[in-house]
Amino acid sequence: MSRTQVLDPAVGQAMSALSAAAKKGLGDPALAELVMIRASQLNHCAFCLDMHLRLARGNGESEDRVQLLDAWEEAGDLYSERERAALALTEAVTVLTDGVSDEVYARAGKHFTEVELAHLIGLITVINGWNRLMVSRRVQPGGYQP
Amino acid sequence: MNTAQEPVEYATEHAPRMRFAEHAPAVYKAMIRLDAAARQGLDPKLYELVKIRASQLNHCAFCLDMHTKDALAAGETVQRIVQLGAWEESRHFYTEKELAAIELTEAVTVLTDGFVPDEVYEKAAKHFEEPELAQLISAITVINAWNRIGVTTRMTPGHYQPGQHQ
Repeated sequence: MSRTQVLDPAVGQAMSALSAAAKKGLGDPALAELVMIRASQLNHCAFCLDMHLRLARGNGESEDRVQLLDAWEEAGDLYSERERAALALTEAVTVLTDGVSDEVYARAGKHFTEVELAHLIGLITVINGWNRLMVSRRVQPGGYQP
Repeated sequence: MNTAQEPVEYATEHAPRMRFAEHAPAVYKAMIRLDAAARQGLDPKLYELVKIRASQLNHCAFCLDMHTKDALAAGETVQRIVQLGAWEESRHFYTEKELAAIELTEAVTVLTDGFVPDEVYEKAAKHFEEPELAQLISAITVINAWNRIGVTTRMTPGHYQPGQHQ
């Protein structure tokens, strides 16, 4: 059985506005792509992985940093402490059913201003939204053009 | 034994970790817009059941406070709200259509367990016409988004007034 590809245009537009607001407020496009790739890995979103891998590479992200993202904790200094704090927060907020610990939250709070942190949380939230919309409707990868 | 004259001493209420709407106003506004778009075309009672079930799975206390109050205000019964946490054993409290929506809610909410199974999707597709199904998926997505904001910023439950955010 094929799955619906319908998405109400008002929902799509609101999602796009949400993405744009979160990315703008975070002000770090390279980190934004790392966060969106990591959440999409955890949520197994093929369309989203394809899209954000293309965007990251298009932005000049290094192949090592893209390839090793799935094992960032073991990847030494390939990622900065700030990025690692953001990735830890991304994992906690994405899995969510295990909660978001004070330790993970405080670690992010050390590297981001409160305004940046609010937008980082917004960005993790919005990619989790896209992951759900794409996985549920089984939207095929490869359709995204940068 | 406690009487009405001896008030129970509850644990101290926690403060939120941050005031999200103040620090990310454009994101918050877009969330409100998204929520309004996703609820179009869905039965309000079903919408609240979906929101409550996802918030239970994600342990969002603020969201549970809000959506149980909104559900009651929309005419939902206490029994159906209480039984929702064990719906598999209390199926006769719900319609087959509601059960299909609840099952889809669980699959889309606990997404890291792997995809949304065909069986769950197909059951939902049997009860929901395509545009309504798309709205249901959007609604599940949106409550999952609010749950993430609510849990991460540790929004404080208990003070919501029904209809306050509608």
